[in-house]
Amino acid sequence: MRGRLLTGGYLLLFFAYLFGPLVIMIGTAFNSAGFPRLSPWECFTTNWFGRLLADDRLLTGLGNSLLIGLGVVIVSTPIGLAAALMLSQVGAKLRATLYTIFIAPILVPGVVIGLSTLIFWDRVGGALDAGYDTLFYDGFFLTILGQVTFISAYSMLVFLSRLQRFDPTLTEAALDMGATPTQAFVKILLPFVAPAIGSAAVLAFLASMENYNTTVFTVVSESTFTTVLASKVRYGIDPSISAIAVIIVGLTLMAALTYEAAQQRTALAGRIAGNPVLRRLMHPAPVGLLLVVLAGVAVWGGSRVDSSACEAQVLEEKRALQEQYRTAPTPSSPAPDTPAAPRDGGAAPASPFSPGNLAPGGDGGEAPSPAAPASPFAPGNLAPGGGEESEAPASPFAPGNLAPGSD
Amino acid sequence: MKPRGSLSAFAERNGIPVTLYLLTCVGIWVFLLVLLPQVTMLDYSFRANLPPSKVGGPEDVYTLEHYRYFLLGSSANPDGWNALDIGVLVKTLVAALFVTLFDLAICYPVAFLLAKGVRGGGARLLILALIVPFWVNEILRAFAFRILFGATGVLNETGMMLGLWEAPIDFIGSDVALYAGLGYAYILLMIFPLYNAIESLDSNQLEAARDMGASWAQVHRRVVIPYAKPGIASGCTMVFMLSAGALAAPQILGGPSNLWFTQLVYQWFNSGGNWPRGSAYAIILLVVCVGFVMFMMRVFRVSIGAIGR
Amino acid sequence: MTKEVGLSHVTVEFGDYTAVDDAHLTIAGGEFFSFLGPSGCGKTTILRCISGFQEPSYGKLLIGGRDMRGIGPNKRPTALIFQNLALFPLMSVAENIAFPLEVRGVGKKERRRRADELLELIALPGQGDKRVDALSGGQKQRVAIARALAVEPDILLLDEPLSALDLKLRQHMRTELRAIQKQVGLTFIYITHDQGEALTMSDRVAVMSRGKIQQVADPATVYNAPATGFVASFVGENNMFEGRIAAPAGPDGTAEVDLGLGARVRVQAAPGLGAGEAVQVFVRPEALEPGGTAPNRLTARLEKVEFEGAMRHLLLRAADGTALRVSQVNTGGDAGPGPDAPVELGFAPAQAIALPPSELARAG
Repeated sequence: MRGRLLTGGYLLLFFAYLFGPLVIMIGTAFNSAGFPRLSPWECFTTNWFGRLLADDRLLTGLGNSLLIGLGVVIVSTPIGLAAALMLSQVGAKLRATLYTIFIAPILVPGVVIGLSTLIFWDRVGGALDAGYDTLFYDGFFLTILGQVTFISAYSMLVFLSRLQRFDPTLTEAALDMGATPTQAFVKILLPFVAPAIGSAAVLAFLASMENYNTTVFTVVSESTFTTVLASKVRYGIDPSISAIAVIIVGLTLMAALTYEAAQQRTALAGRIAGNPVLRRLMHPAPVGLLLVVLAGVAVWGGSRVDSSACEAQVLEEKRALQEQYRTAPTPSSPAPDTPAAPRDGGAAPASPFSPGNLAPGGDGGEAPSPAAPASPFAPGNLAPGGGEESEAPASPFAPGNLAPGSD
Repeated sequence: MKPRGSLSAFAERNGIPVTLYLLTCVGIWVFLLVLLPQVTMLDYSFRANLPPSKVGGPEDVYTLEHYRYFLLGSSANPDGWNALDIGVLVKTLVAALFVTLFDLAICYPVAFLLAKGVRGGGARLLILALIVPFWVNEILRAFAFRILFGATGVLNETGMMLGLWEAPIDFIGSDVALYAGLGYAYILLMIFPLYNAIESLDSNQLEAARDMGASWAQVHRRVVIPYAKPGIASGCTMVFMLSAGALAAPQILGGPSNLWFTQLVYQWFNSGGNWPRGSAYAIILLVVCVGFVMFMMRVFRVSIGAIGR
Repeated sequence: MTKEVGLSHVTVEFGDYTAVDDAHLTIAGGEFFSFLGPSGCGKTTILRCISGFQEPSYGKLLIGGRDMRGIGPNKRPTALIFQNLALFPLMSVAENIAFPLEVRGVGKKERRRRADELLELIALPGQGDKRVDALSGGQKQRVAIARALAVEPDILLLDEPLSALDLKLRQHMRTELRAIQKQVGLTFIYITHDQGEALTMSDRVAVMSRGKIQQVADPATVYNAPATGFVASFVGENNMFEGRIAAPAGPDGTAEVDLGLGARVRVQAAPGLGAGEAVQVFVRPEALEPGGTAPNRLTARLEKVEFEGAMRHLLLRAADGTALRVSQVNTGGDAGPGPDAPVELGFAPAQAIALPPSELARAG
């Protein structure tokens, strides 16, 4: 009994660690406060989502990431399968050696992989006297290769675990019955590993989408979703980043539930096969569709939330408060020289702080980000919701160098 | 008849097209993507930092300058040792080790419960609950910890509201946020190897040990942990290597004065504009980490074949 | 059509280990031929040589008089039924059976027609669209046979295909396999460690031990006149006595032997065994008869009676400590001798055999 209580308590703590930060982050996406926070809660708003749609840099990065992810999937899946197949065929001694070689890219720090990829192709390009507009200096090409280097090993692990359950006598049986080795491969082995091809592709795509350490080197002058996100986070954080998390978590949950439905369906295959209604109901397609419809309703509902009245009121209260406590001569002390800003104005971290700018939703994409990086803590800015600048990353580097692609 | 060469046997078993596919893919991967770039980087780390126009010229010679710099600092350095950079490396290793042990400690019970404690649907749900947070972008996860640990973050607000402390605690500056974030980032990489190892342990062994009067602590110490050693080694190796090589989390969660070694590499590479020195630092990171892992594996007598299983 | 299979001094080595040592025999066309031996005796390696998954290190393998060197498994006129059957789990029953036709480029309609024909043959008509894992053990067995027959092989190779079945089904399948073989008239080469299977189904049996073929003969000969001590002890139960030839075999083929336990008996022996040579004498438990009038006599003390339904086994011990086993048909009623009673046993010279001593022989 005591053991059970202990176990339950432990699991509770563990999952609080796992989900707590995400839940809090999601909460901050709906608070109108200019800095991602839960308390004090100002107004329920969905404006931060609108801000995202107007962020061209982020959308460009997302587009690039999708392209790169696709490229990585196309290249890394066949490589991972080939490596797994090779491992499953060689003798024990050679297998140990090969396995060490194949698994190494997972363990090599991403920074090292990114750097070495960049240098290698730079050298190749140099040796061929290729111009800077050629493949060897192309962010897409380099990022795909850099990511494939270690993502192939992930794919290989997926295929290996599938192949472990493969009965090699099936191939022998096919050969014995007159199939050529190629026929045996295509008709017996490939159908068997087919489900793993899907898993490996999804894993590769997700790993590619989220990779930062390698990409930040290989992407050169392009940008990906993750590098844009990283520069946003490092320049100045605002709740629109939380809004991204809400979208990703939402998509993840939808995918997970659809997948779970598919799994349950296979698990119950025997029992539901005879029941056409149940069979259709359990099909992942309607489950997915239902979730998409729910998400659509949420988006529609969210777009109709109008928090401007509430925000105006909060702003009024703040003004009053500031009036009351004002000690500094001017209500809005502009931040001192802020360093070079990223090109795009959408998430301009350099905009000087002023309380007047706190009103969000004024003009969508033009609304400046309230948290400026590295701006010193000014006493006049103590007003609630305005004093968070001190948290902006005081980067050890010159911020001008932090923009992805500045080299 | 003599046994034939393994390659021709391999080709015969797979047929020519499949053999070509296997060899091409693996060849491209191992040589073009892994080995050659690493060798080039190694070569590069011994070269002088030159503008493109001078590459291949008389000044393009091999030099140990970058490694010397890591050890001794600039030639004007009065101390004799580059205490700053060496300190960062040591701190990175120690911190990565700490993160690894932290993950091992919190993940072992969960992995054990998952493998032996819960059945069927419950286990599937737990696994799903473990995976879902890791589909969220790495940057966003770090961001979540910034929100949590910031000066006006939930933790500080709650603590101060409860009267546990007076002024906001600088979790970020003291690297608490970084360790928590790194530990969080690699939970999955620790749990799954542990789970796989423990799951294959015959449950009868646990019952037999219990039946013979062993306490749960003894069961774990004498039965489960020795059996799960390869899984533990695998999880620890991955978590250690990945936390030592992390870049995003230290950039976002690291305190202003606390650098991670990868940040030095990044710095030489980007703002420093010194690619060869960046390469040398990357090589140093790689060699030291791999050497450390090899050493630990030898100490605990596990083979590298355990990794990733 | 059937073809004979010839093994000409086939040896297979794996590094230092010799899996098959100079196997030399011919299997006639249309024969049901079994390789019998304990696990690790090399029987499966021989099968893999015939099917083409293993090349002999030395010697030749001939099928229909043609040397098979360099001819892959997919080009040989053999079909192999695997121990685990190796049915393709992702294909239906009919797809499994038609697979050999599919890879030969036979059209869809013709494939289906052949599959239905073969399903008929194995008494599973109309089951072609079932999933393989929806079949029972015996049905899977028959599908595997049908699939192998679809190859239209000259020789069917079977690698312990019955070992996964339960006892009843196994016995049933023995009869069925033999019936199918008679019906299709192919050469069947059967691998097993189960002597019951080998003896009931086969025309001839090759008994193997440690890579060597010990004896090739019809089942009755293998049982009644084992060629080596290993065969005598491996096939069926046997009592073994150490002894020495007192008088070499005469024209009637029997020799006198002094047994270690202190009796002189007359038993069958090869003429080559000279006086004074050490031998092992084997007597089947059912050949030993308490009392009776047989000329060879032994005395032993009864230790235990084992009751096994149709049979009753007496476990005895001779004065020198040799354990003996006597099997009697249970006729009911008679309780037999009581424990610890001295029992006199007799056996006929024709039912005992003296063989050169073999370390592989074990009593019982």
